[in-house]
Order: sequence, then structure tokens, then C-alpha cells
Amino acid sequence: MHQFESPLKPELAEIIRVKEETPFLKTFTVRFLDKKKQKQFSFIPGKFVMASVFGFGEMPISISSSPYQKDSLQLTVNAVGNISRQMHLLGKGSVVGLRGPFGRGYPIQKFRKKNIIFFSGGCGMASMRSAVYAVNAKKELFGKLFLFHGCKSPQELLFAEDIAKWEKEQNFNVFVSVDKPTPDWKGNSGFVTDLIDKVDFPVENTFVLMCGPQAMMNIAIEKFRKHGFKPEQIFASLERLMHCGIGKCGHCNIGKEYVCVHGPVFSGSELEKMHLREG
Amino acid sequence: MNIFQASNCPAWKFLNDFCVIVLGYFLKKKNLLPYLEFLQEENGLQAIVPVVNSNGATCFEELSKENSENLFLDSKAFFSAKKFFLPNREREFLFEKKAASFEIHETIKHRHKVLFGLRSCDLHALNALDKVFLDFYGYDSLYRNKRNTVLTIGLECLKPEKNCFCESFGTSKPDFFDLFFWEKKDGFFVEIGSPEWEKLYCKKFFEKTRENRNSQKENCSLKLETKNIAELLEKNFENPVWEKESEKCLSCSSCTQICPTCYCFAIEDFFIPGTEDSERYREWDSCQLQQFTRINAGIFRQSRKSRLRQFVMHKLSFFRQQHNVHLCVGCGRCIDACPAKISLVEIASQIQKNPIGAD
Ligand SMILES: Cc1cc2nc3c(=O)[nH]c(=O)nc-3n(C[C@H](O)[C@H](O)[C@H](O)COP(=O)(O)OP(=O)(O)OC[C@H]3O[C@@H](n4cnc5c(N)ncnc54)[C@H](O)[C@@H]3O)c2cc1C
Ligand code: SF4
Ligand code: SF4
Ligand code: FES
Repeated sequence: MHQFESPLKPELAEIIRVKEETPFLKTFTVRFLDKKKQKQFSFIPGKFVMASVFGFGEMPISISSSPYQKDSLQLTVNAVGNISRQMHLLGKGSVVGLRGPFGRGYPIQKFRKKNIIFFSGGCGMASMRSAVYAVNAKKELFGKLFLFHGCKSPQELLFAEDIAKWEKEQNFNVFVSVDKPTPDWKGNSGFVTDLIDKVDFPVENTFVLMCGPQAMMNIAIEKFRKHGFKPEQIFASLERLMHCGIGKCGHCNIGKEYVCVHGPVFSGSELEKMHLREG
Repeated sequence: MNIFQASNCPAWKFLNDFCVIVLGYFLKKKNLLPYLEFLQEENGLQAIVPVVNSNGATCFEELSKENSENLFLDSKAFFSAKKFFLPNREREFLFEKKAASFEIHETIKHRHKVLFGLRSCDLHALNALDKVFLDFYGYDSLYRNKRNTVLTIGLECLKPEKNCFCESFGTSKPDFFDLFFWEKKDGFFVEIGSPEWEKLYCKKFFEKTRENRNSQKENCSLKLETKNIAELLEKNFENPVWEKESEKCLSCSSCTQICPTCYCFAIEDFFIPGTEDSERYREWDSCQLQQFTRINAGIFRQSRKSRLRQFVMHKLSFFRQQHNVHLCVGCGRCIDACPAKISLVEIASQIQKNPIGAD
């Protein structure tokens, strides 16, 4: 009898670089040991991989690198629990497992000639960076670009170098806000969602991409809607517990949707129909 | 034309579905055990049969010299045959540490089985699991490899039990079997359901017959109106019935464990003590437990209300919206097993009586 191979089997990948981003966040540059696999690997920003730290478990992590970066990929990991803290103990040369990419990413092809607002909070910047990279690489195809990002404190600002670079670019309006500023912080302070009422941005022909804590996204969606955005102009990435990533284990279920295969990115019109509270 | 060729022919299949007379065989009651032993000994199949186990519970076990006297054929088994496709706990991989890297060993283990005595509801339950594990954004190999090596023999129910409500879903009509045994005086009419049935053929015991499948089954006394139930519940997400019913719930997860279609599982790694090798296990999980939706930011289904609602709505609404069948086959096991006497039929009926959001 023919044996079917497991879709849950991780592929081995080597950590080739580790960068400390903030006290709790590290970016791991990883490369599949199998050269063919690395060559074939392609993804749309917003998609994620299941990353294994063998003996500790497997967790969903967004790909934070550019989809045009072909020789490796990057995972930016927050040390919050068993698997992620163990991952932080790994260094160059360590071998981890990867499966994926999984899920549905941001529909960037749809945004040609349109303005884009990237809106992220905290760790949500991980998947957002990939989207910004993808759009920025073909900037001439898009309209005006905006980035709103919020984090707790200046020292928790993720990808500060990238952000500084984007700030200097033409046609790219970058707004960063920290909840608790330090005396040397020169930027905005307060919740990033407050910026929505302070900044001027076009509503027509504009799409919003969102990733961050649920509470932040709820407020942000409400505010953008007040400014005249239609639900179908908004795309948000949801976070749910995930064990399999392939629509089988049931953990990420919300109503008729499985966040791992139907999401994590959902349009505002889809979100309106979902039981996001206790669903 | 032999029966096997006939069973493959679309015209015959059409006739078979709409006529009472079908081709089949007769098996005498006294030959049932010898037939099952024949399948085991001559055809090399592991025979899984319903028995009364040493604790007095009815469940499915491998047929052996010891339990062959305890075959249980009166009604459905309390424990379904789910564990033969989705074991309570199962190893997915062994990660063997090799120098700086790992070697990944996949669990490959199967024995060709025949599952005898599945009731009509049990067969429909397998069909629901197939939808998830064979073809929903890809397959799952642990399930698929087992499913491919299992043959099924269904068995007719004559007398529904008090909590059976299969007729409400139409799952009282057997489908998705290799063979189906219809109860007759002194024996069974054996109906053929798939081309695979030949592996279950037994010249010695299968007799030519003029019998047919004419069912003598009594009707279920428990009923649920299932028309538009998916849409109705979707509109009644905030119905006060959820809160009221969940006050009784103990979050014990008996309902999800006993249910033949509940399939959610968790995946966890364990080190093999004293080594750098580890194993990855899959284990039943339950939406009735709080940690089922726990992430660092919090628990999505914190309240009992939300968890009980998830169980009932997945069964009667969400799955239907995804796969066009209900994730409930009306076997009543969850009602039998609930220590708090919660019944999804009761919940759904209450909502039907007092709906909110009615247009
Ligand atoms: C689509 C998606 C993309 C993500 N992208 C990133 C990212 O780029 N960077 C990052 O740091 N984190 C990301 N997360 C969150 C990350 O998966 C969790 O922080 C991580 O699983 C925590 O695992 P742990 O073992 O360290 O924590 P523990 O609390 O010890 O975890 C125990 C179990 O719960 C699971 N779990 C815990 N929290 C979460 C969670 N928030 N989401 C899903 N599963 C969880 C774990 O995988 C593990 O199986 C993402 C989550 C999702 C759903
Ligand atoms: S069996 Fe009953 S008490 Fe236990 S979790 Fe299910 S509904 Fe609640
Ligand atoms: S929900 Fe209850 S009645 Fe329906 S299939 Fe599961 S155990 Fe049987
Ligand atoms: S993570 Fe298992 S079903 Fe989505």
C-alpha cells in the first residue's frame, strides 16, 4: 500500500545569522539545508512558517524578510514562552525545522496604483516589514505610501534602521509613536491609533494593511471606518493559537474560518462577519 | 457479469440507490463469528469488533479468543471506533540528534483492518472526518494511511436508543461502507457498497439469497429540526440560551472525547530522557478546555458559554457552512456521556423556539 508522506514533517534549516533587535526580539536568518528547497521557497508577505525547535515544539512565525530575498529567509521572534525562549538560546549553526509557507498573505497585487497605509503595533512589525519590502522594491507601481507603527518604548522599537531608511525616502510617510517615551525620544508619543486622527492621508484609492495586538486593530479599524474607509479597503492579520498550520487541529478555528488556511490576513468585510469576540 | 463488475457500473449504482432490491448475499447468524475469524486468519486482516470490555463498557477491540464471547451486537457501542483513525495519543516523528543536525523519522505503522459493526451513524461520522483529513487544504498522512488500510462492515440498528436522533440528519441511511449487514431472521442480508468489498468476500459463508435490505428499523423518538439550523444558529450567536445552558457545564470535555466526529488535537514535543533525541506527539484536545485557545495575549474562549457554544455551533453550523454536512451524526453519545445532562438537541430546540435576530 502506498504510504503518503506527512505534510507535518519539518524541513531542516540552518541559522546563519542572529541579530538582537530589542531586549526580547531577535531576527534569525535561516536557510534550508536542502538547496533545492531553498531555491523553490517563495511566499507572499503575511504568510507564516511553522518553526520547530526540536524537543520544545513548533510555533507559527511570520516571515519578516523580503519575498525577493531568495537565498535565505528571516524570522523575528519574541521570547515569550517555552519554544520562543529556547529559540533565543540558539546561535549561528544551530539547526531548526521549518514548514510552510502557510496561510493567505496580503493581496499586494491588488494594490497596484493605489495608496497603501501599513499599520502595525509591536511584534506585528515582523510580517509588516515583509510587506513594506515587497511594495518598496517596486515602488513605481504604487501610489502614496504611509507607515504607522507603535510600540511600548523607544528601546522596543523593532527594525529602527529600516524605519530610519524609509523615513528618508520620497513618497513614503512614516509615523512612529511610543506609548511611554524616554527623555531622548524625539518622535510621537501616545497610542499609535491616536495618529489616525492627527495625520492627513487620502481615503479614496487607499488600502490599509494591519498587523498587531487585537485590541489595537479593533480601535484602528473603527477609526479608519470613521474616516470613510470601506471594510474592503482594510486587511488585518489575526493571531490565534496554531498547532498544525494546515486546517486540521482545530485550534485556530473562528466560525467557518480556520485562521491558518483562510487567514491569517482577512479583509475588513470578512472580519465583519466573524465572531471575533469569544468565537 | 459478476456482482463486483455490477457494483462499479453507474447505471447499477443508480438503480441500487433508488430500488429496494439490491444484489447481495446472505450470512447466517451462527456463521458471523466464524466469518470474522475467517477474515482474520485467511485474509490476514485485523478484525475490530464491538465488545463488552472488562469494565463492562461497550467499545471496539481487536477480536481475540478471549473477547469473542463478548461480542456486542444489540445497539451502538458507547465508545465509537474513532480511536482507530485518530488514536488518543500518537507519535508523529522521532527527531534523532546527529552531530549538529537532526534526522527526522516519520511514524509509519499500519495493519490492514476490517472494522465490523459500525452503525449507520458511525459510517457517516467517518465520512465527516474524511472531509477534514483527506481533502481540506491537503491531507493528513497519519489519518490517510490508516483510512486506506481499513475496510468497513456496517450493521443495521433495529431499535434506536433513547438519545439517538440520526433520522434528523438522514444519517440513519447507511452510506460509505464496503459491506453492510442488514438484520434478518437468523442472519444478515449483506449489501455491497464499494469495489473493495471483494477483500471481504467469503465463498464458504456467503450464500445466494432472495432476501433484500427492507429495513425493520423503528423510528427515533428524539428529533431535531435540522432544516436551516446552520443559518439559524449563526444568527443566534448571542442568544441567552448559551449562557443559561453553560451554567451547568463542568468543562469536563466528555462530550468531545466521546463524539465520533470531534477531531481536534494538540501537538507537543517531548525529550527522550538522557538523550538529545525527542519525539513529537499528537494528542486529543478539546474546545471545552480553556487552554485550547490560550495564547500569550490571553484566552479567546475564556467563558464556559463561549466554549459550549463552540462545540454545538461547530457541530450544527460552522462545519455545515464549510463542508456541506453537519459535524453531528445524531448518535447521541455526547448526551449519554454528559455528567451535567446537557444536550445539544435541547439547546438547539430552545434556540429554535426563542430565536433572536429573526427577520
Ligand atoms: C500567524 C502568526 C504569525 C506569528 N508571527 C510571529 C512572529 O513573526 N514573531 C513572533 O515572535 N511571534 C509570532 N507569532 C506568535 C508566536 O507564534 C507565539 O509567540 C509563539 O507560538 C509562542 O510560543 P512559546 O512556546 O514561546 O510560548 P508558550 O506560551 O510556551 O506556548 C505554548 C504553545 O502555545 C502556542 N502559542 C503561544 N502563543 C501563541 C500565539 N500568540 N500564537 C500562536 N500560538 C501560540 C505555542 O506555539 C505553543 O504550542 C505569530 C503567531 C501567529 C498565529
Ligand atoms: S460533557 Fe457536558 S459537562 Fe462535560 S464539557 Fe461537555 S457539555 Fe460540559
Ligand atoms: S455531537 Fe453528540 S450526537 Fe452529534 S455526533 Fe457527536 S456525540 Fe453524536
Ligand atoms: S492551526 Fe491547526 S487548524 Fe489551524
